[in-house]
Amino acid sequence: MDFLFSYIALAEVYVLLGLSTNLLVGIAGIFSVSQAAVFGVGAYIVAQLLMTETMGFVPAMLVASLVCIALNVLVTLPSLRVSGDYFVVTSFGIQLLATAVFINWTQGTGGANGLPGIPPPDLFGVMLETNAQLVMLTTVSVGLGCLAFWLIMRAPFGRLLRAIREDELAVAAVGKGVLQAKVSAAALAGAFAGSAGGLYATFLSFIDPVSFDLDASILLLTMVVVGGARTLAGSIIGPFLLLALPQVLTFIDIPTTIAASARQLIYGVLLIVFMLFRPQGLAGEKL
Amino acid sequence: MSAAYLEAAGLEVRFGGLLALRDCSFTVESGRITCLVGPNGAGKTTIFNVITGFLKPNQGNVAFKGQSLDGLTPQAIVGTGIARTFQNLRLFVDLTALDNVLVGLPAQAGEEPIGAIFRPLHVARAQKRRREEALATLDHVGLADRAHEYVRNLSYGEQKLLTVARVLATGAELLLLDEPASGLSAGALDGIMALLRRLQSEGKTLLVVEHNTRVVQQIADEVLFLHQGHLMATGSPAKIISDPALAEIYFGGAI
Repeated sequence: MDFLFSYIALAEVYVLLGLSTNLLVGIAGIFSVSQAAVFGVGAYIVAQLLMTETMGFVPAMLVASLVCIALNVLVTLPSLRVSGDYFVVTSFGIQLLATAVFINWTQGTGGANGLPGIPPPDLFGVMLETNAQLVMLTTVSVGLGCLAFWLIMRAPFGRLLRAIREDELAVAAVGKGVLQAKVSAAALAGAFAGSAGGLYATFLSFIDPVSFDLDASILLLTMVVVGGARTLAGSIIGPFLLLALPQVLTFIDIPTTIAASARQLIYGVLLIVFMLFRPQGLAGEKL
Repeated sequence: MSAAYLEAAGLEVRFGGLLALRDCSFTVESGRITCLVGPNGAGKTTIFNVITGFLKPNQGNVAFKGQSLDGLTPQAIVGTGIARTFQNLRLFVDLTALDNVLVGLPAQAGEEPIGAIFRPLHVARAQKRRREEALATLDHVGLADRAHEYVRNLSYGEQKLLTVARVLATGAELLLLDEPASGLSAGALDGIMALLRRLQSEGKTLLVVEHNTRVVQQIADEVLFLHQGHLMATGSPAKIISDPALAEIYFGGAI
């Protein structure tokens, strides 16, 4: 039972991240490969605030979200100047920079050893310690995230972002603020990724830089591609499916060292196969 | 004398060593259809880019209803009442015809995330009205029955009509249309000419880049003849078309 709970909670954290990535990459067309870095910053902030007993879980999540909103707007700013391929390279650099900070800033992040002993989340004085309680927390959070995503997609803002992805110049020509819309999308994606980080840190009670490196960013993109870009369903299906994979591999009798690399291998193959043969993913639109 | 409706004065645009516009001045009168003609490379689209703020002229300026457009962003210029189409259409092909028009409607509720998330009912109500407006606009250009079709499934003629619907949605009073009739079949051509005349009778002012002399003769009140970035002649279509020197430039490709 615990195993199932932790699978669901983790998958839900990744659904939040998937929504963040889908909004930025799928809908607005800002091809960021540094979403894991923002996720990490959210995780470290909540971990530190709880471990130093500076504040409770809810305000800590708020702080993390605000910082990640600012951070994501900042790292997305180059996309307002450089387009397409150039931005991918810029964003790649930002991800590498973040990983370097996570590993080397030992005071803040515990370095490569990570931060152990992160306290569980509390809600209005109640400590959420059992897995069932934690799953409830992630489920409610993901529910809110999905609701926000759905509302955006059906509002003029969602349509504006789709139009921007297709042709920024044409959007400007009908008198719409491209810059403002892109910054808003980046801010939203930052809030989603930051809160996902906070949930992740308190759920696992241990975080280290490996969870927030380039591989993690690429895993996120794979989830969005496999699940389906630009749709709510795709952002949910992808994480649940891809996170089930390691569990399936544990049933197969292979040494753990091989299992880990086998997983990476399968993720890579999945990404290629889907891009080639089903770019719209299982439940999405063509990227 | 009161200020001209649209007045360009002494425009110069340089791309490296190439002078796309040189000392180019002209006026457009309110409520008329003015056609911008000239051989390829004469600077017709460059003029559109300057008026709509996509290109800053090296010299000169454009004034609309007596107000200088100098330094305004494309967004702000649409706000003053000028909107354009593109020669290569630039429609949002993965969106429906209706959505293409909806994007063009000005100042909508829920166009930013806070309103979209926290005032969903208000946004939904406002959207309902907006959809009706957009449908009426589509109906106006004759695309009502294609509203829910994706743009990539529309014929070329329908896509051209949709670009007109999209500029109409902005509410602009001065429409700059870049070759609205090019590449159309004879039937579609008559349709678009009738549409342009209808827009004029509804009070819109049109500045149209057009190659087809038959179209120019039939719709233009005034013709601006552009050659090598300079306004060479202006007058009625009959006068411009019957001028042998201009015909030589236009058809003969003489320097």
